[in-house]
Amino acid sequence: MKISLNWIKDYVELPKNMDMTKLAYDLTMSTVEVENVKYLSENFENIVVGIIKEVYPHPNADKLRICKTCIGGNELYEIVCGGTNLKPEMKVIVARPGARVRWHGEGDLVEIKKIKLRGVESYGMICAACEVGLADLFPPSSEGEIVDLSDFDVSAGSNVAEALDLNDVVLEIDNKSLTNRPDLWGHYGIAREIAALYDLKLKNIAPFSAPKVKILDVNLIENKRCRRYVGAKLSGINMKSSPFEIKKRIWSAGLKPTNAVIDITNYVMLAVGQPVYAFDADKVNGAIIIRCAKDSEKIKLSDGKQLSLSSSDLVTCDNDGLISLAGILGEEKYSIDSETSNVILEIANYEPSGIRHTEMRHELRTESAARFEKGLDPQRCDMAISLLFQIFGTIFENMSIVEYSDIYAVHLPKKEIDISLAWLESCIGKHIENDYITRKLEKLGFKVEFNSDNMHVLVPSWRATGDISLKNDIMEEVARMYGFENFEPLPIKTSFNSAINQPKVDLDRKIREYLAFRCGMNEIFTYPWVNSKYNDALCFDTRDMLSIISPPSADECYVRSSLLPNLCKAVSENLRNFSEFSIFESAQVFFNRNFESAYDSREVLPMQRKSIAGACVSEPKNLFNLFRKTKGILEAMPKYVHMEPLTFKKVNKPNWADSVVWLNVFQGKETVGNFALLSRKSALACGIKKSIVMLFELDIDLLKPYTSRTNEFKHLADYPMVDYDLSLLFDLSVKWEDILDTLNQVNNQLIHKMSFVDEYTGEQIAEHKKSVTIRLLIGSFEKTLTSQEIKNCVDVVIDKLKISLGGELRD
Amino acid sequence: MKNRLNIIFNDGKEKIGKAKTIDELQNLKAHFLGKHGAITDILKSIPLLEVSERAEIGRLCNKLKKSISDMIESQKEKIYLKESAIPENFDFTVPGILPPSGALHPITQMCYDLNDIFRSMGFEIFEESDITSELYAFDNLNFPPNHPARESMDTYWLEPRDASGHSKLCLRPHLTGASVRYMQTHEPPYRFVYPGRVYRNESTDARHERAFFQYEALIVDSSFAFSSGKILIKSILSKVFGRDVSVRMRTGFFPFVEPGFEIDMNCLVCGGKGCSVCKHVGWIEIMPGGTPHPNVLRAARLDPDKFTGFYVNIGLDRLVMMRYGVDDVRLFHSADLRFLKQFS
Repeated sequence: MKISLNWIKDYVELPKNMDMTKLAYDLTMSTVEVENVKYLSENFENIVVGIIKEVYPHPNADKLRICKTCIGGNELYEIVCGGTNLKPEMKVIVARPGARVRWHGEGDLVEIKKIKLRGVESYGMICAACEVGLADLFPPSSEGEIVDLSDFDVSAGSNVAEALDLNDVVLEIDNKSLTNRPDLWGHYGIAREIAALYDLKLKNIAPFSAPKVKILDVNLIENKRCRRYVGAKLSGINMKSSPFEIKKRIWSAGLKPTNAVIDITNYVMLAVGQPVYAFDADKVNGAIIIRCAKDSEKIKLSDGKQLSLSSSDLVTCDNDGLISLAGILGEEKYSIDSETSNVILEIANYEPSGIRHTEMRHELRTESAARFEKGLDPQRCDMAISLLFQIFGTIFENMSIVEYSDIYAVHLPKKEIDISLAWLESCIGKHIENDYITRKLEKLGFKVEFNSDNMHVLVPSWRATGDISLKNDIMEEVARMYGFENFEPLPIKTSFNSAINQPKVDLDRKIREYLAFRCGMNEIFTYPWVNSKYNDALCFDTRDMLSIISPPSADECYVRSSLLPNLCKAVSENLRNFSEFSIFESAQVFFNRNFESAYDSREVLPMQRKSIAGACVSEPKNLFNLFRKTKGILEAMPKYVHMEPLTFKKVNKPNWADSVVWLNVFQGKETVGNFALLSRKSALACGIKKSIVMLFELDIDLLKPYTSRTNEFKHLADYPMVDYDLSLLFDLSVKWEDILDTLNQVNNQLIHKMSFVDEYTGEQIAEHKKSVTIRLLIGSFEKTLTSQEIKNCVDVVIDKLKISLGGELRD
Repeated sequence: MKNRLNIIFNDGKEKIGKAKTIDELQNLKAHFLGKHGAITDILKSIPLLEVSERAEIGRLCNKLKKSISDMIESQKEKIYLKESAIPENFDFTVPGILPPSGALHPITQMCYDLNDIFRSMGFEIFEESDITSELYAFDNLNFPPNHPARESMDTYWLEPRDASGHSKLCLRPHLTGASVRYMQTHEPPYRFVYPGRVYRNESTDARHERAFFQYEALIVDSSFAFSSGKILIKSILSKVFGRDVSVRMRTGFFPFVEPGFEIDMNCLVCGGKGCSVCKHVGWIEIMPGGTPHPNVLRAARLDPDKFTGFYVNIGLDRLVMMRYGVDDVRLFHSADLRFLKQFS
């Protein structure tokens, strides 16, 4: 919203030396965010009033003429101009060299220089309204016209901003910071704030008195949604444009002047925040009715838009049809036009939520609706009526009020708030004198009474519909007037009961840090809505998923039941830039089942599990290593993050998994996740053609953290331990797990550890055979073993593997 | 005889001083001190000397032996000091072998930084599920039934609409419902943070996202002056940015606080002088905060006359964008490794 400082000065006398930067700062700190302070005169440097003394043709151009122009002093300057309305003694706007103008009203500002135009030197230019940003104030009646100031009492050479009194300062206020302050949607409201901030006197708007005339026929049916309807029929209106003073005001505040009637209604709205709707009284047939629209009832608004209404839209109408979409915009047919001589003014109060719904339903935004949707107080109509009658009377000498009606259906209750002074002091953290509180609150329109330890506050009507309903609100009023900056920060007091211990919270973080820092994986985030292409590729059943009613896009209407589909999307997209990488994501997944709530019996929530999933990507030739790397990530995780160990077993193959390379992950007896190679079919459906992807997904909610570290110290051996590597040939069908099981059966006290070193197939190895290298850790706690003793241990192992699994020692 | 000893000493001093390798030194050792070495020869000849000379020569000889031996040891050290196991042209400018370079998402990093700060101040960490009910997202918090935020234009409502015949489900549009859940299940006074992702149905651009991360902190106690909140905010921001940061609180309106503040931070780019980053005002809006609204306390079944507190809501995306100068919020959900690898 734009606030004109000259306008503010109508209501409050600002100190002469008022610093605008400080005013903007103080308003920002205490009231609303001032985004910008604009000095209108800045646009008019070197732009002055000129009086054309002579006009004669340009020797080299038919459309250009040369004007001998006085711009102050005795000298006349030759200015080349293409204006169509040039004539001697015409007062014009001259941009002298150095001025900045917008050529033909388009593009950026350009600096004017003394230049030759078709061979004739021109001292600056004579401007059209659009070239100096005044098109709204001086609309040209035809193209090519320059501004004619002949009707103004201005002298040649005077600066245009001064001559036309455009030396205004405009505060641009962020509308977002006004959403809860309906009282600030007019200049009077802002003036009230300024008066309170600086302890200045706020001028009153003359009180309103209802005229004693014939009653205007109004039938208010929807008296909940229209809380007050004031109608006044005025006669003696002759269509004309409004006085320059009025035009200037509404123009500074960002609206475009049109004709006197509309301009006055806008003026009043911008002054006190109350929208006013004016329509042609002669076009009305019968009573004005305020009712709900009928379903599919049509209206053509004054901006040309056609709407089909529903019964939740509020309208005004007469016997013939709709007059307006109530509080938002009028019907075209009833608009003020050049023939209008009798006008009906509607000064109404509409309930905000109905307005908001109609606005949203029909995607309408008007100045009027923007104010009603914030919640205006019905009393405000009084101020608006008072101002309206005063200005209409001044501008139209023959105006008289012929009919009038004021239906005040809903009187909003008065708001009164009691506040304990001790509470106020504890929240504010400082003692503030009663006098100060009274002075500031009364400037803002509150009535304040103190009785011993309490303060009783009567809220002004213009604040009661918006932001003031609680004692906290009054506390805020006091604090913001005092200035939030002026409170010394008090230290925060604390009490201590026990240390924070949240093993579940820590587990999630430890797992993420492990994957990132230990395993070199990159954490990613994807959306909770799953992309259908990838969800289908991985065969997740949408019947088990919740869907979004208005999804971000047609192929993202389900919320994910697994992190894997979006993870595969990320894999597929990153393959454009990388061939080997590993990524993970930790987030919730959702299921359309097991509805319950741990918090409130009135709600039920679907099953939501915290999940962590990873993908390791490489080229197909690295499958064996990629498999071992990914498996290693899972195997080493429990020790790092302090949780029970993970084990692997084949129980249920995930739909997306390769037919051979897959395992279910267990913690104790519980399945906690899956670990597998993405099947060729799913990979192709994801657009992953030349790479292999190992995936894992664990349910973090199921993982059981240890309360503390669990490893135990083992005594160091006093005698040397020996690593002994053995390579044996086995059938391809023999698994490491079989070998390990067999080794475990050996049960030799001197063998402390048996581990996998390597597996090899290929040259030098017979077909259908593989070579497996096993490492034994051999030693005794009592003595140093002889080589014969070590050999005996090894022989036992070899014999056992031969008998059980047909293992043959490699030569 | 003494003369001979002197010659050996000088000879030894010269040769040992010039020795460049351990092998040379080894040979010199044999030459002087070995079985047939010069000094050994003299020692062997002592019995042939006059009795009166024997003692002195013996002593001098032993002294010489010690000197030579010391010289050899000290030269040996010098040689070792100069020696390198590596050829002279070894290229020490080649890069090192890096450990695996994964990374947490920059938002997670910021979140953990904040967790550490808040934990150090005695705050618990709470997480709510992403899907919540209309009851917790709106009803509990006194959103009027026709409040615009309830519209599907703003909130992602889910099917099944009415899973149990009770409440509607949605992807949570804010975190405040989470604070109510925490308070309902814990005993006051409260100090906790509840980070999480929230969802709004809106169109996206470089500054707007449908899914973004918030970090809220709440203190609820029998008394808490809002001016103390300034200390809290200053501590957090100074820790995040690693230097002292000025903050200011100004009036602002947010539904869950009363009074509400817009909290601004002194622009770190220009130091408050005004630049394009802070739109020439020297301050940057960093978070809303304030005293928890009585409705929030009531939803948590607390008496607003007995409890008050302080609340802040930190937009993590924005803070991370400021920390690194990221210019497009959509990158956070892009999963693009070219972006994410920069935060290793």
